[in-house]
Amino acid sequence: MMLAPATGLLGVFIVIPMLLTIWLSFQNWSTQTGFETATFVGVQNFIDIFANNSVGRDFKAALVNTAIYTVLSVLIILPLSVMLGLLVHQKIAPGGVFLRTVLFSTYMVPMIAVALVFSKLYSPTEGPLNQILGWVGIPPQTWLSAPQTALVSIVILNVWQQVGYFTVLAVAGLTQIPESLYEAAKIDGANPVQRFFSITLPMLSNTLLFSAVICIINAVQVFEPVALITQGGPVNATNVLTFHIRRVGIERAQGGLGSAMAVTLMLALVVAIALLFAFARSREMKNS
Amino acid sequence: MSTTTADRRIMERPRYKATPATALLVLAIIVAAVVAAFPLAWMILTSLKTPQETMQVPPVWLPANPSLDAFAQVADVVSLGRSFWNSAIIALTTTVAIIVTSLMAGYAFAKYQFRHKEALFAILIATMFLPPIVTLIPLYRITGYLGLNASLAGVVVPNLANAFGIFLMRQFIKGVPDELIEAARVDGASELRILFQVVAPAVMPAIAALVLFAFVYHWNSYLWPLTVLQGNADQYPIVISLSRLLSYNRGAMNTGLVMAGATLAVLPPVLLFVILQRFFVDSVVSSGVKG
Repeated sequence: MMLAPATGLLGVFIVIPMLLTIWLSFQNWSTQTGFETATFVGVQNFIDIFANNSVGRDFKAALVNTAIYTVLSVLIILPLSVMLGLLVHQKIAPGGVFLRTVLFSTYMVPMIAVALVFSKLYSPTEGPLNQILGWVGIPPQTWLSAPQTALVSIVILNVWQQVGYFTVLAVAGLTQIPESLYEAAKIDGANPVQRFFSITLPMLSNTLLFSAVICIINAVQVFEPVALITQGGPVNATNVLTFHIRRVGIERAQGGLGSAMAVTLMLALVVAIALLFAFARSREMKNS
Repeated sequence: MSTTTADRRIMERPRYKATPATALLVLAIIVAAVVAAFPLAWMILTSLKTPQETMQVPPVWLPANPSLDAFAQVADVVSLGRSFWNSAIIALTTTVAIIVTSLMAGYAFAKYQFRHKEALFAILIATMFLPPIVTLIPLYRITGYLGLNASLAGVVVPNLANAFGIFLMRQFIKGVPDELIEAARVDGASELRILFQVVAPAVMPAIAALVLFAFVYHWNSYLWPLTVLQGNADQYPIVISLSRLLSYNRGAMNTGLVMAGATLAVLPPVLLFVILQRFFVDSVVSSGVKG
């Protein structure tokens, strides 16, 4: 049977683990022992991860940090991808395809290498970013070394790595807009800005919805820069869920707690994406 | 000579008019490209600097005497050859397996009729959107049961099939004419033979895209190898060895060394992208928008 290899592998290594995660979230279980040692504790793990002690505080911080990181990533990447997409797509000036190649090649760079390079770029004294800011009269920034700026610094790093992928998606969306719409708008006397808001943006809504979903799913996976550079610090400022769940569930071997966190992440993701679709639909109804 | 070729090239592109708008767009493209390329350019430049240059305040941009010393030294600090070999094994075996399993399942979903087909496909697609951390903890235990932990097999085996690959192959195999497959069946070819000798050649661009996607993804992958290898440094892929380079760097080691290591790790995926980029862009378009 043609399906057996793929479905068997995905079943054993993704679907069954997914179901086990849900089951384990209701168990007290050490990751270093077999599944048979798990004991049922009801919703105690969920109570613990939202409790007012260090376990709960760390998890809630990670949840909030991940939410901020995700929202910032979407809010920066999506508009930027449309702007860059327009630059790649336009036919007035040369260099569009070249720009696409440069942007997309950053998406090929291992996140570990990105994190390494940015840790040097951000270096307050030896890094070039503060030097460049100095040239235009902006005081040096603390970047990764202070709680106020660390998470945003990691967002910037993420934007740099990912924006090329979303630009390609935006270009794909732009290619599908019929040229005749623009011609008609030109005859009606619409200027380029009016044409962008009345034609381009509405016609891109499906692309942007897809981009937002992928962007959210990618954002909750942020791990390398945190594991490599900040270890969740300073003072929990960059403690994000993928890092925290691995620390609890694997390094501290608290499999039940870690699974409860993973299930919470799953639910948060489902809610976020459902809200996004509801938002897109309400906009659509308003426009039609 | 060179001016005439350049002149001719300009003359072959009469569609760009020299207006202020064009100039502004070119400027915007240049700025965007420079910003995008800057971190990688900084990485390469720093890898060529002397240790003193990498520590200067304010930073020096161009190495006075570019040298490859850092590249020579990096191999002394981490077992670079071994790590490259491990990364190559991980990326190549997963890529080959993903191509085969995706072709098979994609063919079944595109051309066969069977019960619960839509439901099964929906479940597979759903796994595509599942962040790996959600399954990480039980998966680590499962590979432990299978005796795969702390070995390269543990990195590879859970990744031999891929939902995105199945989705991509299904999309493209749908476009292969049924008559082609029927003709081969009449000739008595087995289904596997049809798949690999008739269908696969017809979807080569999609296969090229999947090769790039799978290779780059698994060359760059960090979370799972870090977890399953349990600190067995012999089996580390290059990205984990790189991360260890940074902790050496906190001591007396110089930044140039880290950047040399990063440059080497970046090369295979980026080179493969440059070779196969046309296919990759096409497949992102077809999977993202039309799908």
